[in-house]
Amino acid sequence: MIKIDNLNFSYSKHRILFKDISMQLSNGHIYGLLGKNGAGKSTLLKNLAGLVYAQSGKIDVLGFDPAKRQPALLQQICFIPEEFHLPAIKIDSYVRANAPFYPNFDHQYFADLLKEFDIPVGQKLIDMSYGQKKKVIISFGLATNAKLVIMDEPTNGLDIPSKAQFRKIMASALTEDRCIIISTHQVRDLDNLIDTVIMLDENKIALKASVDEIASKLCFKRMKEVDETVIYAEPSLAGYHAVVANYHQEDSKLDMELLFNAVLAEKNKLKPIFN
Amino acid sequence: MNNTFDIHRFSLLLKRQWLEFGKIFLITLVVAVGIFVAFYGFTLFPLENITEMPSRLRFREPLFSIFGFLFISIIASAYFAHLGQKSKAIIDLLIPASTLEKFLAGILFTSILSTLSFTLLFYITDFAFISYIKTHFQNPRNVEGLANIKGFLAQNDFKDFIPLYVTPLMVTSVFMLGSIYFNRFHYIKTAICTMIFGGILTYILSKISDVLFSGKIRINVGNNYGKDQLEWVAFIILLTFTLITWAISYVRLKEKEV
Repeated sequence: MIKIDNLNFSYSKHRILFKDISMQLSNGHIYGLLGKNGAGKSTLLKNLAGLVYAQSGKIDVLGFDPAKRQPALLQQICFIPEEFHLPAIKIDSYVRANAPFYPNFDHQYFADLLKEFDIPVGQKLIDMSYGQKKKVIISFGLATNAKLVIMDEPTNGLDIPSKAQFRKIMASALTEDRCIIISTHQVRDLDNLIDTVIMLDENKIALKASVDEIASKLCFKRMKEVDETVIYAEPSLAGYHAVVANYHQEDSKLDMELLFNAVLAEKNKLKPIFN
Repeated sequence: MNNTFDIHRFSLLLKRQWLEFGKIFLITLVVAVGIFVAFYGFTLFPLENITEMPSRLRFREPLFSIFGFLFISIIASAYFAHLGQKSKAIIDLLIPASTLEKFLAGILFTSILSTLSFTLLFYITDFAFISYIKTHFQNPRNVEGLANIKGFLAQNDFKDFIPLYVTPLMVTSVFMLGSIYFNRFHYIKTAICTMIFGGILTYILSKISDVLFSGKIRINVGNNYGKDQLEWVAFIILLTFTLITWAISYVRLKEKEV
């Protein structure tokens, strides 16, 4: 679905974001895009949507070059930005104006999502809270039935029950011909949702692996003492939360936050495990 | 699917844009009518002496041209201004319509609709006031006086100066380019750039004409001193400039990044 070849991107000569990045993303997956602030998560998403232009390299999305912003591709992209503006109109007017651009827009699904998110339908968009607006835009985006769903910090502004609703809705929104990419720095919000982790660090992709692959290669456990088998550990009340190589195929639950910190701190130790 | 232009998609885009831009546009029109009425009201009333009326009505030309310039330039400067704000630009750029369709919608709203609606509203306001004045002074003794009070369009025959037709397009094309090019303070930045560019151009043209015409004498051919040819030259220059500005605007819109 998405093929990135030797992507180089920078906002200025002194601020290089991506250096020869290459990767492929396929449909039927929910990718979690993680990285420190300023690592380039949003910029990578914008590159995929054709909102910024790379210095060199090639991006192929559904057979199109996103930089050309062709309607045939834009119909298949649902982009939920972190910051957005909605006009001072009611939801039904917004839908009447925007939905006809998307040939697969599902009005019933949109109504169901609004109901699930508990959004007051008759209210003007401008009178809604940031979280409510976000739910409207997420519902609209999913109802377009676009093949590529890109979400930049979608859980920002959502309250705790809404985050759980969001995870449930996103899990049900994944179909075989759909690819969902979610960027966030709140890694716990993506627990049990994503199936593949992509981490950006120092102009490169520091890690791209499925949750199953991570679980088979790494073990996340509590330890009283740190020994030489530990790749990365963080002190806790009862000892340490540690990441170790999973040589004995132990079952453990992926701790996304621990993995994130481990990748940032111990890149060199993790590289041979995933290569 | 035609990825360059599709009439159905274009009509959908116009509807969508009207929903957002239309409200601001209509409010601006109401303000414009208010200003027209205020100018006519304060200048003409109380209606006392019919012989003074033609001189009192002389405010119309500067009002039409100066306020008209401000009106169409402000509208043009506002149309793509939101592309300078990340929160608005992302959603707008990703609407499934081609850049050409988005650009043409911009021209339709800023150049055509704003100029036509301004002229129409000015005409209607003028017609209403002139009709009222004529009714007020309707008296057999004032036939001659009434004949001197003419509507704005009857008084100024625009066919006399062809480049006038392309001037609104040129003004709006420049301010629309400014609204795409700059991210903030679109109007003032465009105005400053236009002044600098205009100043340089005037200086160059005056120097060129000095070189070309110094020491030469004008030959009188016919009785219009080559007015028709000069008008057409001015028309073609203005039109070319407008088309170039539109072409640059299209490319800038196509390359707009967030």
